[in-house]
Amino acid sequence: MATLPRSKKRKQSSEDVVAAVEAPAFSAPVQSLEMLSDDEGPEETASDDGQVDEFPEIDGASDSEEEALGDDEDEEDEDEETDEEDFEEADSDDSLDRDIFPKPKTIISDITGQPKRVYPEIEPDYDSDSSTEDTQNRVGDVPMHWYDDLPHVGYDMDGKKVLRPARGDELDKFLSTVEDPSAWTSAFDKTAQMDKPLSAEELDIIRRLYANEVPDASYDPYEPMTEWFTGKGKEEIMPLSAAPEPKRRWVPSKWEKQKVMKIVRAIRQGRIISSKPKTASKLDFYSIWSEPSTSHAPPLPAPKPRLPTNSESYNPPEEYLPSEAERAEWEALDPEDRERDYLPKKHSALRLVPAYDRFIKERFSRQLDLYLAPRIQRVKLNIDPSTLIPKLPSPQSLKPFPNYKSLKFTHSGRARCISISPDGAWVISGDEGGVVSLWEVNVGREVKRWKFEGKIGALEWCPRLDVSYFVVGVEEALHFVIPPNVPSSVLLLTQSLLAPTTLPPAPETPSPVKWVTPPTSSWSPDTAILTVHLPPSSGLPKQITWHRRGDYMASVSSGGTQGGVWMHQITRRHSQAPFKKIRGAVQLVLFHPLKPHFFVATQQYVRIYNLSEQKLLKTLTPGIKWISSMDVHPSGDHLIVGGYDRKLCWFDLELSDKPYKILRYHTRAIRSLAFHPTYPLFASSSDDGAIQVFHSRVYNDLMTDPLIVPLKILRGHTVKDGLGVLQVKWCARQPWLVSGGADGTVGLWCS
Amino acid sequence: MGRLRAKGKAGAAKAYVTRTSAIKKLQCSLADFRRLCILKGIFPREPRSRKRANKGSSAPTSFYYAKDIAYLAHEPVLKKLREHKAFAKKLSRALGRGEWSDAKNLEDNKPVYRIDHIIKERYPTFIDAVRDIDDALCMVFLFASLPSNARLPPSLIENCSRLAAEWQLYVMHTRALRKTFLSIKGIYYQAEVMDQTVTWLVPYQFTQSIPADVDVRVMLTFLELYQTLLGFVFFKLYTDSGLVYPPPLDAKKDEGGAGVGAFSLQNASQSAPAVAPKPKAVEIDGRTISGKDVRQAIKTMTGADSEINGDDVDMQTTESNPMEVDEEFVPQQSTSDPQSASSLTTLKALTALPQSLTTSLFSPYTFYLSRETSRSIFEFIVRSFGGRVGWPASSGSGSPIDESDDSITHVIIDRPLVERTDETSEEREWRSRRKYVQPQWVVDCINAGKILLEEPYAQGSTLPPHLSPFGEYEGAYDPTVGLTGQTAEESESEDEDVILPDDEEADGEQLPEKSALRAAAAANDTASLRAAELAAEVAGVDYGTFEKEVRKSRKKSKAPAKDDVEEGEQDMNKMMMSNKQKKLYERMKYSEKKKAADRATLEGKKQQLQKQKKRESKAG
Repeated sequence: MATLPRSKKRKQSSEDVVAAVEAPAFSAPVQSLEMLSDDEGPEETASDDGQVDEFPEIDGASDSEEEALGDDEDEEDEDEETDEEDFEEADSDDSLDRDIFPKPKTIISDITGQPKRVYPEIEPDYDSDSSTEDTQNRVGDVPMHWYDDLPHVGYDMDGKKVLRPARGDELDKFLSTVEDPSAWTSAFDKTAQMDKPLSAEELDIIRRLYANEVPDASYDPYEPMTEWFTGKGKEEIMPLSAAPEPKRRWVPSKWEKQKVMKIVRAIRQGRIISSKPKTASKLDFYSIWSEPSTSHAPPLPAPKPRLPTNSESYNPPEEYLPSEAERAEWEALDPEDRERDYLPKKHSALRLVPAYDRFIKERFSRQLDLYLAPRIQRVKLNIDPSTLIPKLPSPQSLKPFPNYKSLKFTHSGRARCISISPDGAWVISGDEGGVVSLWEVNVGREVKRWKFEGKIGALEWCPRLDVSYFVVGVEEALHFVIPPNVPSSVLLLTQSLLAPTTLPPAPETPSPVKWVTPPTSSWSPDTAILTVHLPPSSGLPKQITWHRRGDYMASVSSGGTQGGVWMHQITRRHSQAPFKKIRGAVQLVLFHPLKPHFFVATQQYVRIYNLSEQKLLKTLTPGIKWISSMDVHPSGDHLIVGGYDRKLCWFDLELSDKPYKILRYHTRAIRSLAFHPTYPLFASSSDDGAIQVFHSRVYNDLMTDPLIVPLKILRGHTVKDGLGVLQVKWCARQPWLVSGGADGTVGLWCS
Repeated sequence: MGRLRAKGKAGAAKAYVTRTSAIKKLQCSLADFRRLCILKGIFPREPRSRKRANKGSSAPTSFYYAKDIAYLAHEPVLKKLREHKAFAKKLSRALGRGEWSDAKNLEDNKPVYRIDHIIKERYPTFIDAVRDIDDALCMVFLFASLPSNARLPPSLIENCSRLAAEWQLYVMHTRALRKTFLSIKGIYYQAEVMDQTVTWLVPYQFTQSIPADVDVRVMLTFLELYQTLLGFVFFKLYTDSGLVYPPPLDAKKDEGGAGVGAFSLQNASQSAPAVAPKPKAVEIDGRTISGKDVRQAIKTMTGADSEINGDDVDMQTTESNPMEVDEEFVPQQSTSDPQSASSLTTLKALTALPQSLTTSLFSPYTFYLSRETSRSIFEFIVRSFGGRVGWPASSGSGSPIDESDDSITHVIIDRPLVERTDETSEEREWRSRRKYVQPQWVVDCINAGKILLEEPYAQGSTLPPHLSPFGEYEGAYDPTVGLTGQTAEESESEDEDVILPDDEEADGEQLPEKSALRAAAAANDTASLRAAELAAEVAGVDYGTFEKEVRKSRKKSKAPAKDDVEEGEQDMNKMMMSNKQKKLYERMKYSEKKKAADRATLEGKKQQLQKQKKRESKAG
């Protein structure tokens, strides 16, 4: 026991105190002994129980008077020790003076002659209280501002005035703070009206408050517990109450028994298992497929992984091994882009085959596929791709169709427009230089040449057989020209038609279009017999189209109001604009071959109007961005529309306003389309320099779809400035095709 | 006009849910959702229009069927996962407070989910399950070979290796193995179980390390499912073939590294009274075939092997019994599913009869594995084809025969041939009596379905190439067939052409010959051909060479001319195809071309190699 020697020391010191009390003469050694015990103070607090235990011994050793005294001493001593844990030594002296009883002096009494103890006189002031020691002002707790105007600050005990101490000015105050080292520990005393230095206790209280400690230094929050009743010899032997012991103290509890029995029964019956097996997760397998399955459809089985091929062998045939170039290419590719995730490798023996480093990675990616990849059930097409190509009759069985280029006629500029006479013997072709040439279909000999001002926009031969003339569209004018070498009867009839001697009556509403016939004297084969002046700023006529009877003619100009569409009647020498206003720029117009219908193609739509009833019949939507060309089948039930976006749409007009078929075979914009008037043929020309000839058979039976068979690609025009074949036209009675190209040539294609 | 419909109330917007909303609906974490999806086999779907399914947003998300998610919401496993979440919280709190006994109690009552109902749902019939065990087997074999660590407890590895061994035992017992392929990735095995082909991949015996970019949690979840699936499948397979499942493990043998041999197959009929055998008569082609006849047939076909089979130490007691029962054509009473067992068709067994010849391919032979060959691979292969096999003690205990056994016919050896002077007479005798073959011989024999000649596979010799038994796509390059006739011929002549220039340089006399031949090649009509022939004669070319040259040039010129017309017409007809058809056609053509190009490169390479070889042989 570590505490034992200390407690002995303590015993000794307490005995010393007792000795000191018994022999008060030796005050100094007592003092020193006291100091000794003081030094040991902190240790003694640690060994308290030992000290407590030893009280009875002290009791037994001393008489009752001394006992009380000693006891007293000891308690005081103890107090002091706890005090002095924090205090300075100087304080302890002071407190000693205060605490130790005044010492008597032994003198011989004069009266009795006996020695007597004389105690020093007790002064009435409480000198132990240092705070009240030098307070002279006895005014009490009154507001000090009552004395503000007076020379004194209060009264002392004797009733004399206590004069106000001299208070210097601010400079003195400052100097005193500089000079006096204790100035920072002094505070203003209200009653004394001056600065008083703070005592050590007060400073300590301030420090404690500052440190959030208990301000009272003497308070010990961790005081050792004093055992009063526990421990040996401290038990209370006598009962405190005379009540008899209750039964529950010594009879076993019935309820407890019942509760225990409940558990015991549960254990016996197996409801409670005392030690449950640790691994309950262990699955025991049973015949899971013997019960009928649910009606819920099982999920799709995952596709099986690909089976390995020869190249994955550890010893593949040598041709499977990658060459250096292939290896480099494989390594350069991103792992995701590689066609296969391994490089074939040859090992001469099985023992030399290393571990596959991507094994786990591959298993993992398979699992990712299983739970992260969307699955789609696809029907695998196991067909020969050639069966996808439609089976069409051979072109050889669909003869005749234009096959080769038989003639070539050359213009200086782009041969933009061509027209063929209704008897099919003559061709007129116009170029951008303003030259119109008339030449024979059979031999290609140029018969006549006209020169006009500006570009030739359109050319069209009148479809009537009893008269013979053609119309040339140039800038803001249409010229009617009679070809040379026509029979005189036809010539006369034509002249009388175009320049009648008696002009028909002028229409009620004046038209901006002027019909001008030069005087008879100035007629010559080189000039036009009739000129129609379109309104100014109407631009170049893009297209001229005739009604089949040859009396009406429609022209589309690039500019002007009303979409630039004008309808001209030859016999009445009258022109009118069919549309007051039209949405979109008109590209093309066409007359229906049989009915009084009129097709107008704007940039994206084709509208069909009934001219007699003057209303819109239908709007066709070909789905082309920009329509370039259009032609109607001679039966009038089918329409083909071509666009600059390479599409060709075949419309069955009785079926729908959506195309029956959309073909896309040209590599450049389609420029022109033409149905043959008698043969089941049509042709398309394009900027890629090719002309595509189709067989197009249309059945009267509504149930049978039209048969379209591509027959021949005619190549021979060269592409110039991005423009290829600008126009194609069919000869009326032969399966011959005439095409004008941007390279200035006009070709005749014969079967 | 129909009724106006509010947007997002019907159609794709309703049928699909994004993953985030699915998780929100199920009120679980992403990890739990993943686990559920893996266990339940639910995968994302690709909607026709992503925009429509995602309510107008085109952000990249994955979609699930709303019905799939609704189906997940009722899942008992989901409930257990939620319970587990609560448990984890309680446990961590108890541990944090230092309440050890509470923590222990909690740990003891940890919620554990069972997934047998999921197995039943995903695989309503046994065939479904058997069809889908490929991936499960791959995983189990992989994990059986992994080292255990903190994330892979030893119990898991042990269970995986047990399942792997049970599968191998079953395959060996039923002789179900059909094909084997030694690949650079591992060994592919293919077995036929319940008329389903099951292919699995086993890594070579090296320590694998799990790469950092692999999510082990995902793999473990899959493994959890697969272990359960395999357990139930094996239970059914074992009980249907009259065996006890799980087969008892001999711990002592296992310690000695006996591998598969540590398990012993026990016949279930030994414990349970067998059904009285009733010979069943089957009528085929109007003739009654009794079980006896069939037995006779089998005996004549596999006469020798059954005797040798009897020597198999491991299987002796276990295997002979079911074999006999099989031969008796007694419908095996399945303890689990009596209906399925009684409907056992003998006709099917009859069709399988010719198969028995290949499955008992190795039964007349006894193999001894040299110590550098992998015992686990070859023991499995040889025994599943009826052979007996022994191995040295260094490859593990439990070898039924030792090296000095007289019955050994083949030694599988995989080391280079070294001349040894200190050969004992015994060893010399062995060498003369036994065939020493490289491991590839065994695998090639299986894939060929017959015993191949041992010479090309003899120890130390260069092995013939090892080809995949699984085949490739239709029209792929076949290395076994020589180059196609025409190309071979051409290559021959080209070969000559290549050599010819040297001759030309040697003597300039030959030049007119060549020009004559070229003229013949260019000649088309009979007259010019005649002229060319005369010119050739003048130049001194013999008639045979001339004929050959002419034929070659004809072949070359005729084929393209005929094709041109056809092709031109076809090209034009393509115009009339719809856009969709055109795209499909282009795709098909592309793949066709790619296949042809692959084939051509391989053939070209082979030709190159042959030429090189020829040149080397000439030079050498």
